[in-house]
Amino acid sequence: MLVNERKIPIIKIRDFLIVSIQVDMHDRLALQLQTQILEEIARTHARGVLIDISTLEMVDSFIGRVLSGMASMASIMDAAVVIVGMQPAVAITLVELGLEMPGVETALNMELGMEMLEKRVNT
Amino acid sequence: MIELTSDPGWELLEEHPLETEFDIVKARQSVRQFAKDAGMGIVDQTRITTAVSELLRNMYMYAGGGIIRIQKGLFDHHQSLIITCLDEGPGIDNVELAMQDGYTSGQGMGYGLPGAKRLVDDFELQSQPGKGTTVRVVKWK
Amino acid sequence: MNETNITNAKQRIEHIEDILSSVAAGDLDLRIESEYEDDLTGIEEAINLLIDDLTHELKKSLKLKAEMEEKLLKIQEQQKTILQQQEDLMELSSPVSKVWENILILPVIGTLDSQRTQVMMENLLQKIVATGCTTAILDITGVPTVDTQVANHLLKTVTAARLLGAECIVSGISPAIAQTIVHLGINLSNILTKATLQDAMIYALRKNEQLINGKVVLNQAINEETI
Repeated sequence: MLVNERKIPIIKIRDFLIVSIQVDMHDRLALQLQTQILEEIARTHARGVLIDISTLEMVDSFIGRVLSGMASMASIMDAAVVIVGMQPAVAITLVELGLEMPGVETALNMELGMEMLEKRVNT
Repeated sequence: MIELTSDPGWELLEEHPLETEFDIVKARQSVRQFAKDAGMGIVDQTRITTAVSELLRNMYMYAGGGIIRIQKGLFDHHQSLIITCLDEGPGIDNVELAMQDGYTSGQGMGYGLPGAKRLVDDFELQSQPGKGTTVRVVKWK
Repeated sequence: MNETNITNAKQRIEHIEDILSSVAAGDLDLRIESEYEDDLTGIEEAINLLIDDLTHELKKSLKLKAEMEEKLLKIQEQQKTILQQQEDLMELSSPVSKVWENILILPVIGTLDSQRTQVMMENLLQKIVATGCTTAILDITGVPTVDTQVANHLLKTVTAARLLGAECIVSGISPAIAQTIVHLGINLSNILTKATLQDAMIYALRKNEQLINGKVVLNQAINEETI
């Protein structure tokens, strides 16, 4: 594995983790990120995770599966995952690909995503 | 490698071997650029890039690599971007089965081939067990 | 015939051949000139006349060709304009408007074909992202019929909107469309449908009320109505 491979930063604000994916990920990097986020949930006792994908120009079946898998995994660790800012073209392509990602929570932007998480945690 | 019948009028834009996961990322970035240059809208750019990503992943997982060829030209009377993925892998035993939604023989999730087919305007697959697989996808403007 | 005559005739025939090959090569200004008056002169004159005719016809056809090319250019330009207008019309025919805080409405009127539905879908999704509205109402009261492809596009739009983080409500499904959809075996059970645009609006406002703290938006609506 390359040493200079960039790690995607995970930021913690109050009870939540914020991850912004800004690079075109290859499969191994996506899996690595999945593990990294789950470990971070365990380490920080975060109650929710916001994943911002607004700069991602493409989500294929693998990345889609990693994202929805991460939501289920986090959920059984008692943390909610909200995917934020998917681009219209990406959403259309995902649906046509056959990946409708049922069970994954989504929000139009960070603010709405944060509200969603807060509501979930408070109820 | 299995070559599909092609039109000599097609212009070759790029052709290179695919050996690592980084090559997949690079290849789909150049497909998007060519789609943009061809004047495709943002949704069509995303469709063809995603379809190619699915094909390249299949090729990488099952054949360990191969060749990607990007061409442009007239296809079925449309100005098109034509992308061919060729490998010398084990080949597909049952193409019909591989084209079914949800079918997978490996770590994939079974959306690869049928999903890619839904995203493009033309899809052609030829495979021979022991010889390899060639898939060609076409997206027109 | 004596020998000088024969040589002379030979020379003249060669001259005719030269002229003819020059003409064939495209030089139409040449004519056969002859100082003699005999049997060959008739042929020479006939050839000259033919070259005249040819020149005339050629000029005519060149002129025609130029005219045709000009017309073709005009037609091509008109076609471009038509295509552009079609595209403009397609976007105009599916206006997405923000009618309230958080609520978008897309009234669809007229027959939907696959291409128009596709443009509509992209427009709506882009507007959702641009405005940050979390509820979109797709009112199809003005749509007479749908086919499988169009129904699937509508279904796709609703699913894609959910992936963005917005809810899409379909209102105004006519009895005819309801029948078609069920007959075609299309499953719309995952889609939120309301009978009328009004019902959809009420639903959206109630959702707003829950979403935004303390009924501000609905109160505002009522106040504005009483003023």
